[in-house]
Amino acid sequence: MLISRRKQRLLTFITYAVLVGFAFYCLFPFLWMFATSLKPDTEIRTLNPSFFISKPTLKHFDNVLNGSAFITFFKNSVFIAAVTTAASLMISIFAGYALSRFIRFKGVKAFSVAMLLSQMIPGVLLLIPLYLVMKNMNLINTYWSLILAYTTFTVPLCTFMMKGFFDTIPYEMEESAEIDGCSRVGIIFRILLPVSLPSLVATSLFAFLNAWNEFMFGFVFINDEAHRTLTPGVSLFKGLYQTDWGSMMAASVLSVLPIVIIFVFMQRFLIEGMTAGAVKG
Amino acid sequence: MTLRERRLRTAAYWFVLPAALFFILLNAYPLITVLWDSIHFKNLLNKSLSGFSGLSNFKEVIHNEYFAKALWNTVVWTVLSVAGEYAMGLVSAVALNQQVRGRSLFRAIIIIPWVVPIVIAGMTWTWMLTPDYGIINLWLTKLGIIDKPYYWLGELDTALLTVVFVNIWRSFPFYTISLLASLQSVSRDMLEAAAIDGAGVRTRFFRIVMPQLKIVSLTVIFIHVIWTAINFDFIWVMTEGGPLYASETLPIMIYRYAMESYNFGNASALASMMLGFMICGFILYYLFSQRKSRT
Amino acid sequence: MKARKSTAIVIVTSLLALMLSACGGGNGGDNDANKADASGNTDSAATGNEAEKEVNLKFWAALDPSTDEGKTIQAKVKEFDEAHKNISVDLQVITYDILHDKLVASINAGDAPDISWGLAEWFGEFNNFGALADLTPYVDKWADKNKVYANVWDALKVDGKVMALPNYLGIRALLYHEQILKDAGFDAPPATWDELLAMSAAIKDKTGKEAYGIAGAGVRSPQELIMYLAQNDVQLAKKMDDGKYKNTWLDNPDELAKATEVFKFYQDLQANKTITADAKTWGWEEEDQNFVLGQYAMVVNGPWIEGRSTENPEGMKDVKVAAPPYKKTPATFMEIAPLYVYNSDHLDATWELAQFLMSADYQNAVNPSKAPRNDVVSEAGWGKDFMALADQGVVFPTVSLGGITKAMEDALARTMLKNDSPESVAKWLAEAINKSLETTNELSGK
Repeated sequence: MLISRRKQRLLTFITYAVLVGFAFYCLFPFLWMFATSLKPDTEIRTLNPSFFISKPTLKHFDNVLNGSAFITFFKNSVFIAAVTTAASLMISIFAGYALSRFIRFKGVKAFSVAMLLSQMIPGVLLLIPLYLVMKNMNLINTYWSLILAYTTFTVPLCTFMMKGFFDTIPYEMEESAEIDGCSRVGIIFRILLPVSLPSLVATSLFAFLNAWNEFMFGFVFINDEAHRTLTPGVSLFKGLYQTDWGSMMAASVLSVLPIVIIFVFMQRFLIEGMTAGAVKG
Repeated sequence: MTLRERRLRTAAYWFVLPAALFFILLNAYPLITVLWDSIHFKNLLNKSLSGFSGLSNFKEVIHNEYFAKALWNTVVWTVLSVAGEYAMGLVSAVALNQQVRGRSLFRAIIIIPWVVPIVIAGMTWTWMLTPDYGIINLWLTKLGIIDKPYYWLGELDTALLTVVFVNIWRSFPFYTISLLASLQSVSRDMLEAAAIDGAGVRTRFFRIVMPQLKIVSLTVIFIHVIWTAINFDFIWVMTEGGPLYASETLPIMIYRYAMESYNFGNASALASMMLGFMICGFILYYLFSQRKSRT
Repeated sequence: MKARKSTAIVIVTSLLALMLSACGGGNGGDNDANKADASGNTDSAATGNEAEKEVNLKFWAALDPSTDEGKTIQAKVKEFDEAHKNISVDLQVITYDILHDKLVASINAGDAPDISWGLAEWFGEFNNFGALADLTPYVDKWADKNKVYANVWDALKVDGKVMALPNYLGIRALLYHEQILKDAGFDAPPATWDELLAMSAAIKDKTGKEAYGIAGAGVRSPQELIMYLAQNDVQLAKKMDDGKYKNTWLDNPDELAKATEVFKFYQDLQANKTITADAKTWGWEEEDQNFVLGQYAMVVNGPWIEGRSTENPEGMKDVKVAAPPYKKTPATFMEIAPLYVYNSDHLDATWELAQFLMSADYQNAVNPSKAPRNDVVSEAGWGKDFMALADQGVVFPTVSLGGITKAMEDALARTMLKNDSPESVAKWLAEAINKSLETTNELSGK
């Protein structure tokens, strides 16, 4: 019993109020997109915008799924984002561990500074140099150009996040394992990762979404529909003088929903990963 | 150095090697290019001027009429965005950490803004915010909060703040998830022990929970300060830095130098300056926190 | 503790599995890349023996694949592809939003496509990069050369050489809601600026709507400004004897006065409430959308507005076309959307494609109401009304425009947001234009 029942009730009420407020803030634009995607063309851009739809239609969804290469874009994005996530997680677990435990070595310190600096260059100045690098490696118009680029973009942040999470884990836990004869890698995988499962989920979500959402390089490195990813793909509905709002919104809804659903399943690890082993109050 | 220390060092270098390889392969070259170009004449449209330029790129950039304005906007944009995102992230993470019904639904809802592609989110918000056919203005007038529709993105005094608002909407879920993850590691035993000792909700939150969140908070804020400062997409999609430079930040200026004037010398000089500003900021912060921890 | 361990193992194995499966999927990508490589090889091999080997042309177009027009273009290009055994066309759809940055990156990395769509505003820049191919010999031999409007060819020439080809024309005309004018008691749209300003009070009184719309910001605003300047006989930059350009307003009090009048006109529109207060920062989207919704009576705009009638049939049903109101000389902005042909070693094949894209057959199918050819003018719809204005069309000078159009936008912001005096704005713009010309080495010394 942490607090009195009356207070508990008040707290629950406040919690709900806060959550409903946040839900409204987060959902509002999405609901607008969803409503738009179901409207016939004549109801989309009017002087009396409303969520009410007098003649709902699935025409835009049909156009997106059957009239465009949406499915290809979606598959490409899933593949690229998944590989990026796996790669940057692998890399940053080790780098983050080194930063957390071995920052006393000069090389590691220099490395962390260099990574920080790399985050401070605006993307537009990377455009031509990276294009040249990719061209020299013969990677223009391949999945690997994007995977390499996105991994590079996400590794620094993932590393710092992992470092932050590892920092909260006391070193004593490792020492006892070391005495038991565990190798460094063994320690990371057997001792640290299980404890930092929620953090792993948070980090991988970050890496995934970063790759999922990227726009500029997705357009610049890729030359054909077969390799194009979702975000540039969706923006194709924006024409020169006229935007096909209905289809664009339908495509956005279709690209958002699967991720949200995956997240619903993933959050078990985010939340219960830790409490599973801990004593419940 | 002991043998064990040496072994550890080797292990440490192996651990950072993959990340370092990526850095060298794809980041080092652009980084050096930026620093190099900043002290050279490099205008893709005017090849007649080339070679070492000394500080003339920096001078040109500083003498740009809107440089000070853009610098100030960048500070406002970064500070307000990060502060707002952190506040929202913390409140939502604490709320989501309570044992209430339907919290997995709420958690799913909260990540939605993060999943919507930025370009689409920017266009949708722009549409919703327009005076004549935007739903937000319509609702606000109907509710009597404002008398008549207001052109949020088109007026000098509100353009930047409006984009900040949308940016907070977009970015706070990341804080929520990170903070939520580390809230999980706050020991319940400790909270209970404190409660038995008579600590109230507030004391428990500030004395036990917040210290636990400190490292993650600092990491997230630290990274986001950098990211927000160099962020470009939202402002570009929603206002292109306008009206009359009211929402122009340094990255927008860099984009203009690079992609409108093709003056990569100036663009790189500005980027190097930004790098310098940020490094100074972090050094100041570092010294400050060192002094504070000593006293 | 055990539970935790096992979950961790599950996560790690699934991660590894993901990576492995990812690698499996990746092979597909690799194969594709190899294919692309292979065709790339034939590409370079083709140089020696073009007639026999297949040439692969990269064509980047900003078409909208969800419209009929976009589908027609794709079908037509496919038709060309199938009709030419030795040429295969690799058509890629890239929106204008990103096309510019993508072209700049690929040109500067020496990896440009063979031919692409583009905006007229990029012409000077791309030419300055040295990326565009000199097409004069091909055009001179082309049988249909004289079918293209003469002023279109002029706009695509640099120093007498044809450096780009016409794709389609976006001529601007005055569009007006006939019903709004009738309700306010007018039978015809205004012919001059003064008439327009005089009409606004009556329109506002009788219908509660504004008379006119402008774009105060964004890409559209310099296009409108150059039109108003031309309607008052002023040029942005003149070509001088040394072949370079210069803005001469500060050398010539008469020109400065005329330029000042243009900025004064903008301020009058605002003071008079001929335009809504918001229009000072409208981009093209707001301008178009509000017109289509019937929020104001008249606008100078392009033929694409006709396409909006599917979305807003109610607002569009009374829209009519007329010549834009002017001050001294009737003039309108003519957007010549170019086809850029880049330097490569298989120009002959690229020309084949370009010629097809400019042919009467293609233009009739794709651009019936906005073709650059005088033998393709659609009788239906708005085509004829717009094409009638082709002769009075003005275009941007063929210099690097990035800095200049930005300065024009700023000049409008100074006029309407800061309320600077029109004369000081004109002076400021004159200086800014020359400064931009100087940085790109295109400023005349005279």
